[in-house]
Parts: sequence; structure tokens; C-alpha cells
Amino acid sequence: MDFSLTEDQVTFKKSAIEFAEKALNKGAKEREKNREFNQEGWEKCAEFGVQGLSMPEKYGGLGMDIMTCVVTMEALGYACRDSGLLFAINSHIWTCESPILKFGSEYQKDTYLPSLCNGSLKGGHAMTEADSGSDAFSMKCRAEKKGDRYVINGTKMFITNAPIADLLLVFAVTDPKKGFAGVSAFIVEKGFPGFSVGKPLELMGLKTSPIGEVVLQDCEVPEENLLGKEGAGGAIFNSEMEWERSCLFATHVGAMAKDLEDCIRHVNERQQFGKPIGKNQAVSHKIAEMHVRLELSRLALYKVAWLKSQGKRAPVESAIAKLFVSESYVQNCMEALQIHGAYGYSTEMDFEKNLRDAIAGKIYSGTSEIQKNIIASLLGL
Amino acid sequence: MSVLESLENYLLTEIAVGLGKKTLGPDEDLLELGIIDSLGLMKLISFMEEDFGIRIPDEEVIPENFQSLNCMAKLVELQVQN
Ligand SMILES: Cc1cc2nc3c(=O)[nH]c(=O)nc-3n(C[C@H](O)[C@H](O)[C@H](O)COP(=O)(O)OP(=O)(O)OC[C@H]3O[C@@H](n4cnc5c(N)ncnc54)[C@H](O)[C@@H]3O)c2cc1C
Repeated sequence: MDFSLTEDQVTFKKSAIEFAEKALNKGAKEREKNREFNQEGWEKCAEFGVQGLSMPEKYGGLGMDIMTCVVTMEALGYACRDSGLLFAINSHIWTCESPILKFGSEYQKDTYLPSLCNGSLKGGHAMTEADSGSDAFSMKCRAEKKGDRYVINGTKMFITNAPIADLLLVFAVTDPKKGFAGVSAFIVEKGFPGFSVGKPLELMGLKTSPIGEVVLQDCEVPEENLLGKEGAGGAIFNSEMEWERSCLFATHVGAMAKDLEDCIRHVNERQQFGKPIGKNQAVSHKIAEMHVRLELSRLALYKVAWLKSQGKRAPVESAIAKLFVSESYVQNCMEALQIHGAYGYSTEMDFEKNLRDAIAGKIYSGTSEIQKNIIASLLGL
Repeated sequence: MSVLESLENYLLTEIAVGLGKKTLGPDEDLLELGIIDSLGLMKLISFMEEDFGIRIPDEEVIPENFQSLNCMAKLVELQVQN
């Protein structure tokens, strides 16, 4: 395994940091207060190529390898103070664009990918329901074939980008006898009859990322919008999750790096009892532990990226990375807040916001407990 | 051991543990019987790739290829040829 970055990757990472610092942070505090999505930032990211990072040039993407994608996401996580925007973009890429590229027909790829890459369309995916979260395949949402179309009925919950999405990958049961293997995925456009979206939900964090409920009431979807074959929903979902668990969580590694730099500066500058607080071992050990978690998180993610770049599956490794990075990010956010004392607790600084945003990472893309179940099960338990 | 036997053996010892099954018919619908769930399928795919030295593309992870031992054996044969 060789995780050293190429010169091109280092240069691209630097340019992504410069881009995010210049183009994405203005007004972030206000947007957070108003729970406002950064449409302008979305468009600037599309111009920079973020939405099309991993997509082939043929569809307007940059055709980057997975390691470059991970490094770029790390750079954006480091420099962009609007994690809601990054979350929305990552959902768009890994749960909508990527599965269409991998499982889509030529028609689906030609129809949707160019506009998803240039950011004129926004996407996401709709799996979770009120009664099926971790046990996602026990969903109630049904799709029945009627002539040349499917009719979908059901309600989806906590869907990232739903209030702003132009299309969603909707998972629904096509064959109830087959359990998880009876689930199929459909590309559903917001204008399809019977599709509607609720108001953005009020959540603890990620306030600039619109998340909502989706209602499908006799929603008519043309048969050419079935993604992959009937029953391929499980494979599509698992494949999406492997990508999301590596690339989305790279933004957390970037954010952890930035927080650590801020903490080191603070403990060297802040004086109490006549010396910098960092001279107290109780404080310097926190910094050391934050650094350990950051380094190990980065290694776990790079290993997944390396395995995937070799065309290998990484179910255990991506579960380890997702679990370790999300838990480490929460711990580092808590330490960063503690190290900054009351200033850390104040909304003037970003530490309390980072903590609220970080906690969501232990829940979406499969909870920490579910990652442990996956790891244990694949170890033969 | 034939591909079919090897698959049956793996399913009985690793996936269908505790279900009281001693044998599996070659055409028994393992999905409808709930013998293979989503985590079980992940394990099964890793086993098939390692044991038979094949690569199963995600696009081939569909019910037609996994619902019975015979379907899986056919998939293995096809991927070996590829
Ligand atoms: C910010 C955010 C964005 C999201 N975006 C999307 C999206 O775009 N699309 C989408 O489809 N969904 C989305 N979700 C939903 C998310 O996937 C689910 O919240 C998640 O899968 C957990 O389901 P749940 O909330 O119903 O919790 P539950 O499944 O009810 O779990 C509750 C608790 O029980 C534990 N638990 C459950 N089963 C087990 C078990 N077998 N073993 C051990 N512990 C267990 C869980 O770990 C958790 O701690 C999002 C969620 C959040 C918070």
C-alpha cells in the first residue's frame, strides 16, 4: 500500500483549499442562523468541478480517481465553513450521480449525468421511511408495474436535498416475497405526477442542508427510469454506501485537521496562571489524542480509497472508516470546544456548530452500531 | 468438491446457521425462504470471489443470480469464463 499523493493531487488539493476559502465562506454564519442553503456556493462548486469530480469527461466531469476525490473532499472539509453545503453536494454525488453512472442505461446516463455534473440538476436518494431506518430493506414503499410504467406509493423520511432536489433515487419494493432482494431503485423526477416534498425538517445541525420528507402517491415513473434490473436495489444501495462512507467522510477528516490547527494555536496563545494553557499536560494530551484520531481516520479512509482504486470490494474497510471517522470527529469536536472554554461554547466561534454537525455523522450512512454489526458479521459472527 | 457442494457447504455453515437446515435443494429459493439476507449476501459474495477466484460485478448482484444454488453456480461458471 502506498498512500503518498502525486504532485497533481497535492496541487489540486491546494487549489480546492484556496477555492473554498475564497468562494464558500462569505455569509456562512448568517445562512446557518437562517437555515439557508447556499445556492451560489453550489453553483461555484459546480464551476470548480466538484459535482463532477469522479464523473467521466464525456458527461462534463473531471474524471478524477478515487484518491483525488478523497483528497479534494478533505480539502473542502478543511477550508469550507459550511458543512451543510458539503453534505448536500456529497449526497448528490455519491447517492445519485455515482449509482446512475454505475448502474444506469445509456439513456439514463445521457439524460441525467451532464446536468448533475454541471450542477443544474440536484439529486439525492430516498431509502429511509418512518418505520424503517437501520432495517432499511423492511420498507413499505411499493412499486407496481402497470403497462409501460411503475406506480410508486409510500413516504420517505429524512431525505437529504429533498426540498431542493430535481431528482431522487427512490427505493421501493417490487417483489415483496423476496425480502431485500425484492427492492428496486427508480430515478424519480420532481415533476412526475404524484411526487411531492414536505418542508425542510428542523434538525440539530447541518442547518444549511435542506432535508425533508418525500411523498409518493400513485407516483408514475416510466419503465425506462428503473435503475439497473428489478431487485438490484440492494446492490445499488450497498455500492452507494461504500462510496459515501469513504468520500463524504473525507470532509470530516479535513474539518478535524482545521480544528486541530486552531486548537494548537489557541493553547499556545491563551495564557492562564501565567503560562500558555498548552503547557498543562491535561491540555497537551488532548491535542495529542486529537492528532492520533486525525491520523488514524485519514489512514482508514486512504485504505478504502486504495482498495477501491484496485477495483476491490471494501465492505469491512469502509465500515471501519465510517465508524472510526464519525466517532473520532465527534470526540475531536468535544475536545476542541473544551479547549476553547466558554469561547468554544459561544456561537461566535464554529466549535459548537461543528459538534452539532458532527453528531449526525454517527447516524446517517448507517449508524455506528450498524457499522459494528457489518464488521462483526463479515468476521463470521 | 463441486461448485454446488462448496456453495451449499458455505451457506449451511456460515449463513443459514441456527435455521435447522441440513441440506439445501439446488433450486430452492433461498431469497424467498429468507436464508440469505443483505449482510449474508455480502459475506457470500466475498466467499465466492475468494474461493472461486472470480470478480462479481455489482451489476450482477440481482435476484436471478442468487436465488438458488443452481443460479449461483451458473454465475460462477460465467465469471470464470470471463
Ligand atoms: C442528517 C441526516 C441525513 C439523512 N439523509 C438521508 C437520505 O438522504 N436518505 C435516506 O434514505 N436516509 C437518510 N437519513 C436517514 C438515516 O439513514 C437513518 O436515520 C439511519 O439509517 C438510522 O435509522 P433511524 O434513524 O430510523 O434509527 P433506527 O434504525 O430506529 O435506530 C435507532 C437506534 O437503534 C440502533 N439500532 C437499530 N438496529 C440495531 C441493531 N440491529 N443492532 C444494534 N443497534 C441497532 C441504531 O444504531 C440507533 O442507535 C438521514 C439521517 C440524518 C440524521
